[in-house]
Amino acid sequence: METLKKLFRPFSVVPLAGWFLGVFSAVLMEYYLGDLISYYLYLPKIPVLFGTLFMLKNPLLIPSALAYDCIVYIVPVFLVARLFAPLTNQLAAQLEKMPLWLATLLHLAAFYGILHMWAGINDYRVLVVKLTMISIILTLSLNVINGYQGEFSCSHPGFMALGAYASSTLTLLLFANDKMFGEPLMNPALGPWLFPLILIVGGGVAALGSLIVAIPSFRTRGDYLAIISLAFLFMVKSAIENMEIIGGPRGMSSQPNYASLTVVFVWMALCIWIVHNFTTSVLGKALNAVRDNEPAANSMTVNTRKTKMTAFMFGAFWAGVAGGLFAHVLRYVNPGTFGLNKLAEILAMVYFGGLNSIYGSIIGAVSISMLSEALRPLELFKWIIIPLILILVMIFRPHGLISFTELNVKELMRPRDKERAGGVE
Amino acid sequence: MKKLVYLVMAACVVTFCFSSNGWTQRKTTIKVGINAPMTGDIPKVGEGTKYAAEMWLDDVNKAGGIEVGGKKYPVELVLEDNESKAESAVKANTKMITQDDVMIIIGPQSSKQAIPAGDVANNYETPMISPWSTNPATTADRPFVFRGCFLDPFQGPVLANFITEEFGFKKAAVLYDVASDYPKGLAEFFKAAWEEKHGAGSVVAYESFTTKDTDFSSQLTKIIKSGADFLFTPQYYNEVALIVNQAKDLGWKGPVVGSDSWGSAETVELCGEACFGQFFSTHYAAAGAKGATKEFIDRYNASYGYVPDDVGALTWDALRLAQAAIEGAGELTGDIKKDRTAVRDALARVENFEGITGKMTFTEEGDPNKCAVIVKISDKGEYEFYKSICP
Repeated sequence: METLKKLFRPFSVVPLAGWFLGVFSAVLMEYYLGDLISYYLYLPKIPVLFGTLFMLKNPLLIPSALAYDCIVYIVPVFLVARLFAPLTNQLAAQLEKMPLWLATLLHLAAFYGILHMWAGINDYRVLVVKLTMISIILTLSLNVINGYQGEFSCSHPGFMALGAYASSTLTLLLFANDKMFGEPLMNPALGPWLFPLILIVGGGVAALGSLIVAIPSFRTRGDYLAIISLAFLFMVKSAIENMEIIGGPRGMSSQPNYASLTVVFVWMALCIWIVHNFTTSVLGKALNAVRDNEPAANSMTVNTRKTKMTAFMFGAFWAGVAGGLFAHVLRYVNPGTFGLNKLAEILAMVYFGGLNSIYGSIIGAVSISMLSEALRPLELFKWIIIPLILILVMIFRPHGLISFTELNVKELMRPRDKERAGGVE
Repeated sequence: MKKLVYLVMAACVVTFCFSSNGWTQRKTTIKVGINAPMTGDIPKVGEGTKYAAEMWLDDVNKAGGIEVGGKKYPVELVLEDNESKAESAVKANTKMITQDDVMIIIGPQSSKQAIPAGDVANNYETPMISPWSTNPATTADRPFVFRGCFLDPFQGPVLANFITEEFGFKKAAVLYDVASDYPKGLAEFFKAAWEEKHGAGSVVAYESFTTKDTDFSSQLTKIIKSGADFLFTPQYYNEVALIVNQAKDLGWKGPVVGSDSWGSAETVELCGEACFGQFFSTHYAAAGAKGATKEFIDRYNASYGYVPDDVGALTWDALRLAQAAIEGAGELTGDIKKDRTAVRDALARVENFEGITGKMTFTEEGDPNKCAVIVKISDKGEYEFYKSICP
């Protein structure tokens, strides 16, 4: 641990912008030289997920894949980040003088540009990145309920299903020539522009559905919500299975392809921003108070019932949006997808990453998605390794990897060349 | 700064040391993708798929590869686990097409994965054969997607005709799972076919249940009271065992008829003597098979220790179809896009292909025209060939 810390000390002066520059140079290198480098390393192709996929299939390729990662990612990222640190620190100082929203937007735009370029090399990456970002939205929305609100809700796949079916029905009805609903009612060219509205409707349907759980169960606390919400999940599933008009158990397919990488990214960024604002608002603080001690919060004039309902509906709304995006990425939904497996997946992401934390949710969603993708060649053993990691995390960090930390964008983006008073290192 | 230089140097050294390791050339190999549920709800299906694929690869390797346009190419299998989930099947297909450059994809087996995965294959213009998916949406409007089995709109009438001719029954009872795509579809097609033959109201009991139900006594009591001559239940093996045994306990005397989902070896094992003498329609019959079918069954049994069910046989046929299509593609240009289109065209041209599950010719939609087999479960619990019904 000590040597590792020593090794990373030279890099503590690199600001976020510097890391972006480093990653950008790595991606540029892969874009122009990746094919050549992988050819000389006798790799069949540019490795998609840092070579993990064929490392496990063909262990003979491990050295080549590691070498590739070294040449294309690790060395350029660290080298460029460190060498340009004085320059990027100046840039960071300039950005710091700008309004916070502008600086954040610039950082986000840079990040998206890099991501787009990295994913653009292979369509498989695009798909993995899209699904990972949807998982981030889902994890965040469940964290609002299970983390910030401190309840244990099991109905998230149900909300997701409501959102997915509502938005799919709308897009198929309005913009697609479909066997189920016939000719499109509106000009299909309008589709991508109205898609955000449709997602919001999907989220709204999920939020309304959440009232079915919220109204009866918030009179009680604790386990009751878990049971009622689990029942809700099954209700939604069998309701959809029995509704012939939306395909029944056969599901709905051929939704128009509206959920591009940009669209999913924008929604994810929006989700992070809004969830952050929500949890740091008065309502969010009230929510934490209700979680820690409901009678005390009540006596401090917090309307506990209203607070809980709002937070629950808010979480359900984002699950619905995520469901809508999910349906339009896969372009197929069936009720079987939104079952207990999905629930376990989302819960694992929330508790692995950390309760009550936006960083934690992002880390949980990304690491579980990437792990389950990278370990896929192991087949059955994957389902031994991932739960094992989860158990270990629960033993050593019972609240998850990064819990109870707030997102501080200003701190994240500040220049790192000089120590500042009160600056957290 | 010094450390940094060391780090870079070390990285370079490591790279150069290892890079001499795999002095192999990038060769043109024909890659065949297998998208199978190795984990998840139906791992047995994934296992059957994998075993059939391994046997096929053995054969091809013994022959020195696949010969296309007078040149032999080595073959490589790319097996991806789809975890029995729709999104994983889509990811697996995308990965195999864009990363592994597969020529053709075999799988996914069940419709809930084959429908979205077929969309991916069609968008990337890569031929795909789903051996087992019976949902019409898998191949509909997708020129690059084919399947290896007959469809439910064919199987329903086949059974209705067989029962009418064999037993002369007039009144039917149906018991099916309303929450599962395959039983529900087949129950509907059967009902329509039966009522067309015997007039409206001839299906005297049309009862349903939900996946994972284990007590069917209320539905079965209704069915017995309705005075039906026989019971049709297009369920999977675990439910078949429960339904048939419970019906017998409640006093049901007539025959119980099933569909291709009964084809698993587990059906008889779980159901026991209650299932002896019953009929079902399927893709092939293991007991009393002849020729190439028997050869396949014997080899499979010798290697893996059990008689293959229909998934294994259909996967085998799909792989052989893929091989025939690749061989018939004329010449490989090395440009994967052109080659895939050539393979797809060759596959659409296939006529009277001699598979172990019957002769196949593809229709415009990519569905095969093939015969169904009626199987009788013998007194020893073996699946005996009873009759073959062709379209």
